[in-house]
Amino acid sequence: MNDQLTHPTAFYALPRIGSPAPQFEITTTHGVIRLEDYKGSWLILFSHPADFTPVCTTEFMAFQSIYPQLREMNTELLGLSIDSVYSHIAWVRNIEEKMGVKIEFPVIADLNKEVATKYGMIMPDESTTETSRAVFVIDDNQIIRAIIYYPLTTGRNMDEILRLVQALQTHVKHKVATPANWRPGDKVIVPPPSSQEMAEERVKQGDVECTDWYFCKKELVE
Amino acid sequence: MACVNSDGTLTTSAKQLLTLIQSEGMTPEHIAGSLNLPLFKVRSSLRDMKSMGFVNQTDETYIMDERARKLLERS
Repeated sequence: MNDQLTHPTAFYALPRIGSPAPQFEITTTHGVIRLEDYKGSWLILFSHPADFTPVCTTEFMAFQSIYPQLREMNTELLGLSIDSVYSHIAWVRNIEEKMGVKIEFPVIADLNKEVATKYGMIMPDESTTETSRAVFVIDDNQIIRAIIYYPLTTGRNMDEILRLVQALQTHVKHKVATPANWRPGDKVIVPPPSSQEMAEERVKQGDVECTDWYFCKKELVE
Repeated sequence: MACVNSDGTLTTSAKQLLTLIQSEGMTPEHIAGSLNLPLFKVRSSLRDMKSMGFVNQTDETYIMDERARKLLERS
């Protein structure tokens, strides 16, 4: 059968890095929220498959553990699953009661899959009734800056999510790129020169450490 | 509505917000800073309260409507 018939194309909708984040107005555990309410803040919009499931519970506690650090970085958290707000409320209360962790960020009740569809969070070959473990990093101008997808079986790594936001914000602030496994305090990548003259001058610059003309790093001065 | 409990009283966060803007108009950014609340939460609450007639908006500034005073005193 035609793949387009078995999986409606709406499931495949996926915003791209650099695109404006799709707007929404939706019920959450903190009342009705619009994406535009987050203007001026960075936002991590993430989906989980379902409430009252073990991997998701570990993830929620882990997201909560990094929430204070994220807020210091002007970054908010917003969860989502295809569950009712009553299910979300019962689950976050259960997490507090049984695990001793109060979930302080809002969770979208996306029963009609409106936001999940707009953001391409459903992987129909994996499940049509659950969202995958998607992460959208949205900047303070509501532009999508990074996207991560994990399958239903595998919990996400909060260190990497924190590191990703730190790296993205460092790029915005200093106009530099960050190398593999970069951590705050490490040297950053200076953008490659775009002309032969700039390449020759680059290797003479005192504040950059060049292995070759295209591969230069420097310390960040705050 | 997220700002009113089922018994008709204001929620704690709604009381805090209305108390802050009962006599002086403030921007969402100023309110968020004063109450140490996330800005998204303040914007969402103000929209909710505006739809219920609890606050008035002039440009970027919000102030409590007199209709909310009795509710605030009762809560």
